[in-house]
Amino acid sequence: MARRVLRVASALSLAWFASIPSAAHAFGDVGAFEARPLLVGDQAGSRRMSALALWATELTNRTSAPARPKPREVRASDDALFDVPFAYWSDNRQLPPLSRAEVANLRRFFALGGILFVDDAAPNETGPGAFGDYARRELARVLPDMAPSPLAADHVLFKTFYLVQRPEGRSNNTKPLEVLARSGKIKVIFSSHDITGAIAKSPNGGWESSLTGGEPQRERAVRLLVNISMYVLCSNYKDDQVHAPFLMRRRGLTPTP
Amino acid sequence: MSEHLSVAAPTWLGWAACGVGALAAGLLVLEVWRTRSGKAVLASGVAAIVALLLAIVRPERVQTHEVRSLPTVTVLIDASRSMALPGNEGTRFSEAQRAVAALADAAKGKAEVRAFAFGRKEPEPWSTTLTAVHPTSQLDPALTWLETRERSDALVVISDGRLDTPVPGTSRDALATRFKAFGIPIHTVNVVDDAPKDAHIRSVSLASTAVAHVPVPLRVEVGCTGGLSCGDLELRVRELRDHGSARDLSRGVAKVSGETALVEMNVTLDTVGHHVLEVSIAAPAGDSIPENNRRLFPVRVTRERVRVLHVAGRPTHDVKAVREWLKSNASIDTVAFFILRTHSDNANARDHELSLIPFPVDELFTQHLASFDAIIFQDFDAQPYGLDRHLPAIAAYVNNGGGLVMVGGPNSFVAGGYAGTALASVLPVGLESGSQAAAADVDSFVPTWSDEGRAAPLLGPLRSLSGDELPSMPGTNVLGALRPGASALWTHPSRRTRDGKPMPVLAIGEVGNGRSVALGIDGGWLLGFSTFGLRSGGRATAALWDGLLGWLMRDPRYEPVQIELAEECVAGEPVHLELRALPGLAPKEASTITIDVQQLDGSTKPLHREIATASGEGGARITFDAMPAGGYSARARFGNTTTVRRDFACEVGGQEWADPRPAPEHMRAIADAARGVSVSARDVKRIPLPEAKVLTTMRRDLPLLPAWVWALAAATLAGAHWIVRRRTGLL
Repeated sequence: MARRVLRVASALSLAWFASIPSAAHAFGDVGAFEARPLLVGDQAGSRRMSALALWATELTNRTSAPARPKPREVRASDDALFDVPFAYWSDNRQLPPLSRAEVANLRRFFALGGILFVDDAAPNETGPGAFGDYARRELARVLPDMAPSPLAADHVLFKTFYLVQRPEGRSNNTKPLEVLARSGKIKVIFSSHDITGAIAKSPNGGWESSLTGGEPQRERAVRLLVNISMYVLCSNYKDDQVHAPFLMRRRGLTPTP
Repeated sequence: MSEHLSVAAPTWLGWAACGVGALAAGLLVLEVWRTRSGKAVLASGVAAIVALLLAIVRPERVQTHEVRSLPTVTVLIDASRSMALPGNEGTRFSEAQRAVAALADAAKGKAEVRAFAFGRKEPEPWSTTLTAVHPTSQLDPALTWLETRERSDALVVISDGRLDTPVPGTSRDALATRFKAFGIPIHTVNVVDDAPKDAHIRSVSLASTAVAHVPVPLRVEVGCTGGLSCGDLELRVRELRDHGSARDLSRGVAKVSGETALVEMNVTLDTVGHHVLEVSIAAPAGDSIPENNRRLFPVRVTRERVRVLHVAGRPTHDVKAVREWLKSNASIDTVAFFILRTHSDNANARDHELSLIPFPVDELFTQHLASFDAIIFQDFDAQPYGLDRHLPAIAAYVNNGGGLVMVGGPNSFVAGGYAGTALASVLPVGLESGSQAAAADVDSFVPTWSDEGRAAPLLGPLRSLSGDELPSMPGTNVLGALRPGASALWTHPSRRTRDGKPMPVLAIGEVGNGRSVALGIDGGWLLGFSTFGLRSGGRATAALWDGLLGWLMRDPRYEPVQIELAEECVAGEPVHLELRALPGLAPKEASTITIDVQQLDGSTKPLHREIATASGEGGARITFDAMPAGGYSARARFGNTTTVRRDFACEVGGQEWADPRPAPEHMRAIADAARGVSVSARDVKRIPLPEAKVLTTMRRDLPLLPAWVWALAAATLAGAHWIVRRRTGLL
């Protein structure tokens, strides 16, 4: 009984301090997932804040991972970029070239292990749109020794929580996700599917877009976002050998000893 | 004083003159006989020859004073520990004492006896108060020492023949070559005739360093001597531990055939560090030396790869930071289980759409627990996943040598419900329970380095990157006071424990045979990813964890002090431990060393405690009173640094008692090769003593006549002979 009282008291105390709005980090919250919109140049703000909030909500509802429901925007040239090792970058247009300070800051961000998710908000049917091309070009300046490569269907990103077949967002084109990676560690994920667009809300509270695949497509977009979060928080945990027989069985494959 | 006649001329000249004189006399006789020249010629001729001879050799009286010197007999008595074994009557050493006395008695008035005890070091003058305490019997160095220091006419070696140099079995030629240079006879005295009735463990072959979790071949040679009926002897191998009873590692049967049996088996040790193994046999009735039925020996266990179980209650950046460090280290095998979904989460999917697997808590903590070198619980609440029923087993795992790290978070320490559990007892800090217990302090703070933290080698790599600087942490789990023997490396700047001391934030401690770490923060990843991390190139997280796991695994690089046994520990004799600080950690001023020695028999209280002062070089030699046979752990605390442990074993008699057989044939071979005789102790009076020597202490030469008188006499007689010859017509 005393143990239960203690646990309830502990939970209440933790809940209390987690709700303190002024703290950039709080105990128990410091390692939480936060999809921070990255702003560069003249970008005034993110178009997908509702999607990012929903991403956080879905993550906490579906998984044990903590997430911040109200992501804070961060400028690429700001030291705040080093508050969280994940950032989300999206737009539907080409932006001004990255400044020297932004390039340097992003380079340090990646050097410390940060991951950037680039979600093209206006992709073409066949691939990246203007922003996607722009982001690839500018990130090549940041990470000149890396080139985008398609993410194989059996990559751990597609099994970090859900078993995801292929990337889908507002657009369900067949273009694969692309990544910039070094030694197997992903630095940048390029999506040409406007994944956050699939779960973006309009000001009136409804979905911003209706999807050709309907709600199942939206659900698949959520699942991919959850998987991205899990990759950010667990890295390649699901590649560990201990998971292999379970995952192969669920994918209908025969486990090998 | 004595007097005799001699000559002043050199001996050769005297002989030459005599020869020439004899030849001259012969020719003279021949001439007189042929010429029939008469007796006068012969007489004068002989007189002239004699006078010439005397003039050449010049006779003289010699007065001398002579002293008769007794010969010196040097006796070397083997004072190694094997001499404390049973002999014919009493111990072999008492037999040797009687032999020395008997030899001295026999030599009274005939020879001077000088006796020395030999063993490992230089021989020391014999005294009846000496005991057989040397770990080895080094006869060769003792002889070399005698050659340069003592003049002897004969040497007597008293021993049981179990010499380390020259070793039994050395060929006669080799012995003869060695002793020829010595130049005097070497007699030997056997103090024991027959091997005792005894079953014993003659030797144990095991690599001094074993690899954790890897079976190590163990070869045990069992002996059975003196006609003791041994048959099949049960053999047992155990690991001595200070927490709980000894752990059985292996059992076997020694089938004695003739006088020996060989048993080969494998043993597997799970935890790193120094361990003490015990090999024992169940000896039959009639066994005369029970002490050598049990052998104790230290083994250092290392590992090729560290096997770590990483259990996290939820995925966070902190979990990822630890995981990435674990996976980046090629010497670590990581088995990870992260709780990705709780019972309250709704994944909105069927099981086959998820990659989740069940957390095999029962399998992990029953079947596989011992296979891990360290366990990391990160922000993990034991109760919802059924871990609470395994907490006693995990506590026992730590006590038995495992490593444990608990990392902070809302599900750790008090908040994780660990207070009052078995697991809490193996943490380096106390956890407060009860409704008033605070789970966390949510105020941001910068951890403070303690003196122990600054001195601890395990945080050396981190300090080399960031110095005294640490990033701000958004709160901490509330940890209690340090347990005895634990150290706080980081503390909270303002929060205190109930004992009034700063609250630990990072604490380490020794628990039984294992070690544990409490890290009360969940922002450790900020060491690597933050503006602070930028200044250290993002390497600070790895530096911290390298040190923590290295210390858990007893990596010598992270131990502040090295503890070594100065010499083999033998029960009943003082124990000498040497402590050395790592380079760079030597205190500028003398520091206090507290060292506790505890027997590995399940007892919890230190047997000895010594407090010493380190020298300027950071070293110290500490001597403990004699200890009984057994395994021991020495825990040293050097100034403000963390505690270091070293396990060691003390045996009765050590290796010298392992094989009680005497080697009389070796004694005979030595005597044979050195022109001596070999006798048993009771026949020591049969040893031939060397002859006494006569020394001339004064000599005076007194000529019978002055040299000119001899010359004049010779000239006169030669002239007279010449005149006689002329008168007889020979000229």
